[in-house]
Amino acid sequence: MGKAKSDLSQISPLDRLTYWRVLEAAYPVGSTDTLARWMSLRQSSSEHWLEADFRGVFLEHYERMVAILVRLVGDRSQAEELTSDAFWRLYHQPSLQSEGNVGGWLYRTATNLGIDSLRARVRRREHEKVAEHELTGKRAGDPLHDLLREEKRQHVRTALALIKPAAAQLLILRASGLSYKELAHALNIKMSSIGTMLNRAEEEFRKRYLALHPHEEAL
Amino acid sequence: MTCIDDDGIVRAWLDHELSPVEEEQIKRHLSSCSSCQLRFEKLRAGIARTEELFAVLAPPAQDKGTDPELEYSRLSLRVRSVEQQKIPLLTSLLARFPRPLWGVAAGAVLVAILVGFNPVRTLAQRFLAMLRVEKIAVVTIDPSTLVSSAGADSRPYKLINQFLSDNVIVTIDPGRPAILANLNQAKQLVGYNIRTISSLGAPQRVAVRGETAFQMTLDRDRLQSLLEEVGRSDIQIPESANGALIAVHIPATVVSSYGDCPLRQGYPGPDNSRRERGGEFVGNNCTYLFQAPSPTVSVPQNLNMADIAEAALQLVGMSANEARSFCQTVDWSSTLVVPIPRNTGSYETVAVDGVEGTLITETLPQGNRYNLMWIKGGVIHALTGHGSPSDALSLAATLR
Repeated sequence: MGKAKSDLSQISPLDRLTYWRVLEAAYPVGSTDTLARWMSLRQSSSEHWLEADFRGVFLEHYERMVAILVRLVGDRSQAEELTSDAFWRLYHQPSLQSEGNVGGWLYRTATNLGIDSLRARVRRREHEKVAEHELTGKRAGDPLHDLLREEKRQHVRTALALIKPAAAQLLILRASGLSYKELAHALNIKMSSIGTMLNRAEEEFRKRYLALHPHEEAL
Repeated sequence: MTCIDDDGIVRAWLDHELSPVEEEQIKRHLSSCSSCQLRFEKLRAGIARTEELFAVLAPPAQDKGTDPELEYSRLSLRVRSVEQQKIPLLTSLLARFPRPLWGVAAGAVLVAILVGFNPVRTLAQRFLAMLRVEKIAVVTIDPSTLVSSAGADSRPYKLINQFLSDNVIVTIDPGRPAILANLNQAKQLVGYNIRTISSLGAPQRVAVRGETAFQMTLDRDRLQSLLEEVGRSDIQIPESANGALIAVHIPATVVSSYGDCPLRQGYPGPDNSRRERGGEFVGNNCTYLFQAPSPTVSVPQNLNMADIAEAALQLVGMSANEARSFCQTVDWSSTLVVPIPRNTGSYETVAVDGVEGTLITETLPQGNRYNLMWIKGGVIHALTGHGSPSDALSLAATLR
């Protein structure tokens, strides 16, 4: 059994969970437990996310991440999907736990995923479809107002997709209400540089926006 | 103060992101510097315009998101099933297990597939029998005679592993269990009522394992040559088994834990009595309640289950004679056979929840542990905890 213990300690806990799951699917709890103890299995401490920790991180950031991505991509179900994707990636990088800035990593990853999807959408020239999608199910108000607003949304997103991703990221995070401190933390930049970077990002965004829609008033 | 030439600072000032001291300095300077005022105004207008544009992106106030807790459990189910598609389920299950253990795992899976379900004919499946669990029987096995211990080499293990991954097709992959904070979420996920032990209050946590299905077509020649290769040519697979398609479907199952249970898993993992990671002791007051609607197994009607059971029981460590006499005593018409290793405890039949149940008692250094199993209303129940048999029965009596 000595060998068995050392072998087992190298199995990731998730593989072991798979084992218990299948065994317990076939057998009620008790017998599996009996077999397990008889085999003197041990829990290992190999590097992985503890379920409770991962859940904590998820619940802490999920809603805010979705809110940011809804602004960015417009569609709530897509925003939720991208947020889940970011957590999926986090789950596969347990080493991030010890590096301390899990939240920052999540915001960066989620916004990058959102910007990627926005850029892909613009490349495919699918914004018309998205616009239709977004309009359905919205509150009944002034139809013309809604249409104009929707058009504006689309213009903003297109311009965001066309500027440098880092600039788009900074702008969307700021527009979602992150403070300078939070921005510095999320993007790994000095707080004293945020003002300058925001200015530059906005400059780039304005130029791009005007190039796309020269008829709109000067920014 | 000279003119402020850093637009970054100006920007931070406009965004109210400076310290009160800095803010005051800039404010004072601005009131006395007209060229700066112009630049400030220009910057301020730009910011306002961008803000206005970005404001259209804000989602409507009534746009409500999903409950993060529920979303988390969905994510755990989804992420895990995606993850596991990379590796065939049974390969990953058996691949890296030390030999003494895989034997039990393989044996357990085989016994689960092969042994003791009641055939119920359905019109929809003219050629298949749908099998359901209605009773539980305990069989003691001797793990030291498992195929796995046949020698120091791992060849038998590799052979059986290969055989299973070649032949077992997972049709519904459950992913890993989702851990839920409360019963209502678990109920939503599994779609059936979950009972609780009322004398223990609310469960500490509830783990839900998604539904599972897998199937396998038996090839007698291959099975027989496999048995030969692992040194068990004495075990005979009946002729009737050849070509039989066996399909197993296991509904979503729930494990509720009460008291001082390991936090890592919502259901008992190995070695509960030992020190957990993080210096946490798992005390003796951890109780688990397992609930699962009966799995169904579809097999051809002409398949002789008793013969196959006999072979499977020999593989998990019974002698040919023992296996035969056990197979004759068990009522095959509805029984789930639970193997327990020899010398780990005793078992008896008890009355529980208005039906007949099986109570397995183990003697451990830190006291007795009970495993009480019964089937009621088509749902398999199992209650596990530390204490005497009467503790188990009195807890079961408070089930709601």
